[in-house]
Amino acid sequence: MRAQQIFRAWSPVRARQQVAEDTYWLELEAAEIAAAAAPGQFVMVGFGMRGWGVPFLPRPNSVAAVLGERIGLLIRVFGGGSRRLAGLRPEDEVLLLGPLGTRFQLGGAKAVLCVAGGVGLAPFLLLPRWEPLKRSGAEVRLLYGERGAAAVFDPDKIRELTGLDPEIWTEDGSLGRQGRVTAGLDLKGVDLVLACGPPPMLKAVRALALEAGVPCQLAVEEHMACGVGTCIGCAIETVDPETGEAGYSLVCSDGPVFAAERLRW
Amino acid sequence: MVDLSMDVFGVEFQNPVMLASGTCGYGEEYADLIAVDELGGIVTKAVTPEARAGNPPVRITETPGGMINAIGLANVGLEGFKREKLPWLRDNLRRAHVLVNVAGWSVDDFVKVVAGLDEQDGFLGYEINVSCPNVEGGTMFGTDELALAQLVGALRAATQRPLVIKLTPNVADIGLFAQICEDNGADGLSAINTFPGMVIDVEARRPVIGNVTGGISGPAIRPMGVYATWKVASRVELPVIGIGGICNARDTLEYILAGAALVQIGTAMFVDPYTAPETIEGLREICARQGVDKLAHLVGALEA
Repeated sequence: MRAQQIFRAWSPVRARQQVAEDTYWLELEAAEIAAAAAPGQFVMVGFGMRGWGVPFLPRPNSVAAVLGERIGLLIRVFGGGSRRLAGLRPEDEVLLLGPLGTRFQLGGAKAVLCVAGGVGLAPFLLLPRWEPLKRSGAEVRLLYGERGAAAVFDPDKIRELTGLDPEIWTEDGSLGRQGRVTAGLDLKGVDLVLACGPPPMLKAVRALALEAGVPCQLAVEEHMACGVGTCIGCAIETVDPETGEAGYSLVCSDGPVFAAERLRW
Repeated sequence: MVDLSMDVFGVEFQNPVMLASGTCGYGEEYADLIAVDELGGIVTKAVTPEARAGNPPVRITETPGGMINAIGLANVGLEGFKREKLPWLRDNLRRAHVLVNVAGWSVDDFVKVVAGLDEQDGFLGYEINVSCPNVEGGTMFGTDELALAQLVGALRAATQRPLVIKLTPNVADIGLFAQICEDNGADGLSAINTFPGMVIDVEARRPVIGNVTGGISGPAIRPMGVYATWKVASRVELPVIGIGGICNARDTLEYILAGAALVQIGTAMFVDPYTAPETIEGLREICARQGVDKLAHLVGALEA
């Protein structure tokens, strides 16, 4: 049996708005998932046997907010699946499975640096829900990188959802500081790095954190079918930290949050 | 009350709906989502003599009306299966029947797994995956008449349990391969395994799947699965398990009318784990509406 119960529910869309270029905010009514989800965890969002087409398979999405009995998702349009999710209307229904996967682990950290790239921002929007963080009173900084200003999720909305003041970086310098978010990675005084974003960014964060000897956890993505560990499709190369043995882990159930040293990157 | 039971392999299946190999792990993975023991049965993930890590990523991606996979038979191996997986099946499934899917690269591989499991409790019989390459011959067992005959004969000598051969559709005449299995002592046939396929990333000019090629499954292949089931059922006397793109009760009835006594749901479970229980409920509803009191009466009842 799993450590945490998985809920399956047809969930009506309660709100949907465009929040940046190709980027949409969805709110879905899913009381049981909302009550249980923690930062780093995800849901599979699909159309079941009633409404499949494109997409056929459900899609993994980070839980980006818990608002009463609703969960919030941050969707960026990459292909047919995300386009359909982005185009949902209030009262449309989706089939949800969740909450799924591992969550960030605070340990005894007192100074946490969160590094978000693109819609990798999503799990960090859920930080206010993180009980260990609330109890610890740890200090949190949020770095958020995008290609350009048009893609940036409204900083005021980030403040409203998280209480954090995001340090924004854009590659073209059209908002915040110019450059990649990893250029702003000052690890002095930091005792935990959490990151989510595109693989090149995660690899850069991982390398910097390992070099500085700062514990680091990465939330990663992979193609998925089931989300619950049965299809064995979402394999990622990992190393067993005890034995040093290389192998595969499943992003859906061994992850999506991995300690940086476990990934064979 | 509609009777959904099917008498196959000398036992009663409470209904014809099984879960396909590779889509339900070893059963336990779905236990907190659905009542696994209410199903007709499950087919385990393939068991090979040794544990296997599987293929490098990317292992799966969506295709029109389905998906492609190249998992690489990642599994816990014979000893791992006996130690970690079989006890759950034995202790938790009272009514649902279990077929252990077996894969290998030589006749000895298959015989080793079957001989290693035969004395154990917790399962009914075997489903043999003949879509693997034969290291001795270079072709797939399932596309080579002589290799298939030899494999089925060797397995028949190794076990008295139900022996089901899972046929590949990648042959000119699937009926011929079904006949070879029947002639060499098989007890049943599963039709079909996935279709070989490829997906290419045109920006990277590379295959999407790490293994380059993979198997296509899902509703896109359902008409081909129904066709194969009909061809096989028309050719041999053995019971047929219909597989390929089943999403609901209506799809299940297509296979049953074509001659299947049992079916397996696979890829659709990834879309919704409730697909199998809802299919069973749907069979009751359709039978009641059509005035069918026993579903078994519809097996092969195609009017053509």
